[in-house]
Amino acid sequence: MNALHPFMNNPLTRRYLLQQSGYGLGAVALSELLSGESNAADNPLAPRLGTHRPAAKHVIYIHLVGAPSHLDLFDYKPELQKRSGELCPDEFFEGKQLAFIRKQPTLMGTPNEDKFAFQRCGQSGMEISNLLPHLQGVADDITVLKTVTTEQFNHAPAQLFLLSGFGRFGRPSIGSWVTYGLGSENQNLPGFVVLITGQVLGAGGSAWGSGFLPTVYQGVEFRSKGDPVLYLSNPPGVPSTSRSNIIDAVNQLNQVQLADVADPEIETRIRQYEMAYRMQTSVPELMDLSGETEATHQMYGTEPGKESFANNCLLARRLVERGVRFVQLFDEGWDMHGNVFNGLPRKCKQVDQPIAALIKDLKQRGLLDDTLVVWSSEFGRTPMAQGQNGTGKKTAAGRDHHKEAFSMWMAGGGIRGGHVHGETDELGYGPVTNPVTVHDLNATILHQLGVDHERLTFRYQGRQFRLTDIFGNVVKDILA
Amino acid sequence: MSRFFTAIALATCLFWLLLNAPVSAGEKDVVEYRHVETLLRRHCYRCHNDSKQEGGLNLTRRQAVFGQADSLESIVVPGKPKASLLIARVSDHDYGDIMPLDAAALKPQQIQTLSDWIATGATWPESAEPAIHWAYQPVSHPNVPAIGSSGNAIDAFIQQKLTKANLQPSSQLPPALWLRRVSLALTGLPPTLEELDQFENDSSAEARERAVDRLLSSPRFGERWAVPWLDLARYADSNGFQADQLRDSWAFRDWVIKSMNADQPFDQFVIEQLAGDMLPEATVEQKIATGFHRTVTCNVEAGVHPEQNRVNQVFDRVNTTGTAFLGTTLECAQCHDHKYDPIDQEDYYRLFACFNNTPLEVKNTAGVTWDFYGPAMDLPLPAEKERTRRQLQRQIAAIEQERDELKQKQLAGYQSWLDSLAAAPEESLWQPLIPEHVSTEGQEQIRVLDDGSVLLTGPVPDKAFYTALLPLPAGTITAIKLETLTHDELPGRGPGRGDPVRNNFVLHDVQATQRFGNEPDQPVPFLRAFADFSQSRWDVSGLIDNDPKSGWAIAPQFSQDHWAVLVLSQPLQSNGSTSLQVTLDQHFGSGRNIGRFRLSAFLGSPEQLELPEEIRQLVQMKDRNKKQEDELREFYLSQDSGLARLDKRIRQLEKQLKAVQPDTTLVMIEMDEPRETHILERGEYLHPAEPVEPGLPKIFGDPDALDPPNRLGLARWIASEQNPLLARVTVNRWWTELFGQGLVKTLEDFGTQGEPPTHPELLDWLAAELMENGWSRKQLLKTIVLSNVFGQSAAATPELLKRDPANELFARGPRFRMKAEMVRDNALAISGLLSDKMHGPPVMPYQPEGLWRSIGRNQPKWKMETDEDRFRRGIYIIWKRDAPYPSLMNFDAPDRTACVAQRPRTNTPLQALTLLNDPAFGEMSLGLAVRMLQADGSSDEARLREGFRLCTSREPVERELQVLRRLLTQERQLVASQPELIKQRMSLKQPGFPLNWDNDRELAIWFAIANALLNLDETMTQG
Repeated sequence: MNALHPFMNNPLTRRYLLQQSGYGLGAVALSELLSGESNAADNPLAPRLGTHRPAAKHVIYIHLVGAPSHLDLFDYKPELQKRSGELCPDEFFEGKQLAFIRKQPTLMGTPNEDKFAFQRCGQSGMEISNLLPHLQGVADDITVLKTVTTEQFNHAPAQLFLLSGFGRFGRPSIGSWVTYGLGSENQNLPGFVVLITGQVLGAGGSAWGSGFLPTVYQGVEFRSKGDPVLYLSNPPGVPSTSRSNIIDAVNQLNQVQLADVADPEIETRIRQYEMAYRMQTSVPELMDLSGETEATHQMYGTEPGKESFANNCLLARRLVERGVRFVQLFDEGWDMHGNVFNGLPRKCKQVDQPIAALIKDLKQRGLLDDTLVVWSSEFGRTPMAQGQNGTGKKTAAGRDHHKEAFSMWMAGGGIRGGHVHGETDELGYGPVTNPVTVHDLNATILHQLGVDHERLTFRYQGRQFRLTDIFGNVVKDILA
Repeated sequence: MSRFFTAIALATCLFWLLLNAPVSAGEKDVVEYRHVETLLRRHCYRCHNDSKQEGGLNLTRRQAVFGQADSLESIVVPGKPKASLLIARVSDHDYGDIMPLDAAALKPQQIQTLSDWIATGATWPESAEPAIHWAYQPVSHPNVPAIGSSGNAIDAFIQQKLTKANLQPSSQLPPALWLRRVSLALTGLPPTLEELDQFENDSSAEARERAVDRLLSSPRFGERWAVPWLDLARYADSNGFQADQLRDSWAFRDWVIKSMNADQPFDQFVIEQLAGDMLPEATVEQKIATGFHRTVTCNVEAGVHPEQNRVNQVFDRVNTTGTAFLGTTLECAQCHDHKYDPIDQEDYYRLFACFNNTPLEVKNTAGVTWDFYGPAMDLPLPAEKERTRRQLQRQIAAIEQERDELKQKQLAGYQSWLDSLAAAPEESLWQPLIPEHVSTEGQEQIRVLDDGSVLLTGPVPDKAFYTALLPLPAGTITAIKLETLTHDELPGRGPGRGDPVRNNFVLHDVQATQRFGNEPDQPVPFLRAFADFSQSRWDVSGLIDNDPKSGWAIAPQFSQDHWAVLVLSQPLQSNGSTSLQVTLDQHFGSGRNIGRFRLSAFLGSPEQLELPEEIRQLVQMKDRNKKQEDELREFYLSQDSGLARLDKRIRQLEKQLKAVQPDTTLVMIEMDEPRETHILERGEYLHPAEPVEPGLPKIFGDPDALDPPNRLGLARWIASEQNPLLARVTVNRWWTELFGQGLVKTLEDFGTQGEPPTHPELLDWLAAELMENGWSRKQLLKTIVLSNVFGQSAAATPELLKRDPANELFARGPRFRMKAEMVRDNALAISGLLSDKMHGPPVMPYQPEGLWRSIGRNQPKWKMETDEDRFRRGIYIIWKRDAPYPSLMNFDAPDRTACVAQRPRTNTPLQALTLLNDPAFGEMSLGLAVRMLQADGSSDEARLREGFRLCTSREPVERELQVLRRLLTQERQLVASQPELIKQRMSLKQPGFPLNWDNDRELAIWFAIANALLNLDETMTQG
């Protein structure tokens, strides 16, 4: 019967996979119907297939919190340099929502110094700033999107919009949607892991929260200080033998209760205690970088035990290697309203080498093909100078928040290498070709994971909610 | 992957089996259209309706349904499900992707319903006016079915369905377990052992009722029932967003607890929260209640636009009102007409208008700095404090008046002051004094230069004492200036002589005397001194303080000119033949002496001397605007010592006042001038369209029925019996709290897209009871918990699990994991640590370090409580939205950024880790260990039984005792072999741990038993 069924010949028809995917209650009902036992139903993180053949199985989503100055990194504007110091055109200012700038500002180009110069890189000749020399070396692996636009110009709302498709609180984050849709391949680790350097972004835990989705899909922060996962380690005076004895006792007592009341939840609880015990080994093993080779440490610039963005990049690779579905890195400190030409080189130095190393490392291990790496920020920065800090004090020039156009890039996971998508005007203010909305971006990420963004839904308050609301088009041009 | 292939293949076969089973009208009851309509509405209409016809298909119209699809196939052929495209499209892959495309496939029994409907003739009443959705129909008061079984009305309704399904209710729980279930349900805490004993020994018929009355009157009742309400109210102690600063609105949380404990009628409870401020003669409590809608998040990050923030807050208020009180999703109508529920944009913005008259809630405080703002209210103070406060306020008011009067008087001299300043700028009032004679005690060479300065060269004595005699010009002299100057002939250009690099000087003392003719010299005392720069700890004031050790120096500003001004205590009148003798005492040593100096006299008024630069500029300006003029006037007044004294006094009193300042809480207030409300295109605040008036959504009745037409009118309508939703939505939520699932499963949505009720008559009966009994929460809860259906055993038989896996028929009792707060409170109670302290500012129990670390200014810090506050109930824990208390979050507590009607109930390894390892639970394990050790009998057996009963309210069975005894033996051996574990386990006691047991070894061993017991599924389950 199986072999004869029509869609056996075409196993990736959307219909078939949708029903497997467990969106909503479909798969749960189905598996209950079929087996009378309900493994997949009981385990919300069991791996599931999407709606079509996926190009990527994992995502490493890097968010530069505060928003780096994309004009000084990816979107080179000689005309802006030329006109640096002129008052900006009226239409850049009048009637526009700007976070800090209150008087018509002047244009500000990238400094005419070698340090800030752009290089044509790789075979494609895409331009990347000298501030990111290592990234220049992997230009042929990435697609730069120069025309991403957003609707929000304040940090927290823009972070929420980018990461949950909605500029206010209450919706699931993209990592939660993905884990809800696809489950995870490693049952000894959470399916969605968050790594943070610096302070926590303004959107707070909602940036990796599950909104109205079940809380099992929210991101779990792995911390570099203290317990990597909260409450992972035993309290003082409880060695591993003792912990194992206690869990054995708990599970045996729960078995007695299970026999008595036959509540399947008890069975699940027993499994979760076993899993918790396994996590006490698997997570420290994961977090321990000392087993990596010297060459790897050299490449990333990592030091075992240190709290650094580089360490988080290496951890990200270790996580996807173990089958974790969605890894999100947040790095704080990119909000440069003042003194951008001092701050930017400093921050770039922290992230450039490890990010390039991550791409090279994934590639050499054959993981880049099915791992989508994303460089993102909540918005970009103005081509106009801002000369005041938050309290109105004059400072060295920086750039204000900019939502009309900014640059992101993606690598691996079925994304074209050495490609530039979209073009902004000569002053870098807005898109001239191929604007990419946040919904387009999210639709594309889901698409690469084998999920049709219009069909990844969750019914809440009587409505089928989507990550992309009622919008979003896959950016086909950037797919390999 | 192959498992999935098999699965789908099987599933498909099953569907076909179902569909192809021989069916004839004779065997099947005719399926009524209304059942089908419910299915179509929920699953199909969103893409196939009048306005949106995907694939050219409209399933809302009879004509269309019985017609053909684009493919020319018939959609519904009465009597022939197999020939009907409708069935094929929801069940057969060969016809294309299974519908609906955007959601889960229909369940087999739903497909069966459609199929049966077609098979039995596909009836569709010609006149089919779309029926009014059940939830919008008036609440009926159904008759209680005459079932003849024991129990109350609720049991009768439940039994009716059970009988139909041929099921029997389960047996009643043993008394102890019943008491545990009802105690947890009503107070969120387990029964004490004494309560258990007493109840087990009470065989009277009223035992259950007495227990329920006791629990309902416990103050713990409100603390337990406030939790789900605060989820709806999205109550938290911080703003949300960047920085996420704390705010005070805990008085609202306390109000909810008090209101529930007092069994305030639910309709009043609702009205006061929505519009307590607008009630006639509103009381303080009624105003506190309006905190319900001041809990909304608020963004104060630098770029915020206050109006946008405000509009977002109003959206939240409208949407939360819809979810909390109407079980209706309004949000979609914010941007467009509501697709499935009969709420359109006009309806939405008429509700919006009811909430649109509150002020902005962020305020620009400096530059681009914004602060949380908006109306707050003082909470009443204890009488004594209130008296002190009033007194201080009166004193301040009196002094302020005095100050204002004085100010008016002083202002009379303002113009002349200004004129004199303008006429003579400060520079012109200094006159250099050319010395007539200069002497030193050393061998220095002294030269008076052309500019009147004195240069000292030659030998450098260790210390020096200079005397200069200076004829004074005629006039009133109010200050003298000493300049210490550089010169090429000085080492490193000076001004000090002692070192070419570090050419500092240390001038200890300046004395001046006045000489007039042959009269005796008169000392000229100084009032104060100031300088362009003073070295740290060598402030210029040391020159005139008569302390020989103090003095003025200028490191590290070497090789620069400096100056010091000394203001005379009394103006000195000079007629032109007066001289001044000035001595400069420099006894630091190492030649730290001045190499060149000059003295000048000031002939203006002393206040001119210290005019700040901006004032000096303002004085000289030709045209001043109002702001500049005000600034000048303020400065003038600030020079007045009388005013300064009064200001100082006011500041002192204000400081005292601050100490008796009442706590505040956030409240709603209505602005005097109502805002005009417009429909906002696409929900964007920058795109207002037609204006609208406050009013009701049309579906609920006359849109203009609000009386008065504002927030208060809306509140009154919501809480009236005209609104069929409030009572239904509310009793369903209470039912869910008690049974773990609702009669309507979608607590947040009673609209057409929500689940229909499993027991519609029971739902209406409960709703009617609530309204008819004066909206008493306690009375209705009492009725429910005294029913047999609540008291049934939760044990499931294989047959029940098969026939009713989700327990929708309630043939067995409820069993579900406790809510987050209850998990904590229950463990605290079991461990004997729970504090019963109520109300007040939120508390900070133990949490791991480094969790509060958001971006932005004014970051609050976590400081663990070291007294009983550490052991207070979860409801009192501070709720910071971007980092809520992690152990609550691990048990599905929401972050309270938005209204939540139903928490998820998950079962995860992180929960296991929390209960096993969180040091807060570690401390509770120690507490439980102490209690076990204190058990009567002090045998292992007695102790194990005590601990087990504390956790589960029942005696352990032999198998359970075996497991525990083995763990005890293992731990005894472990602690014997590793005695260092004892101290380590004791370190879990945080400061202020209140329980004692003198044998640490025993405590350490029993800690492990306690740890296991607190982790039992049964311990954390309401069952």
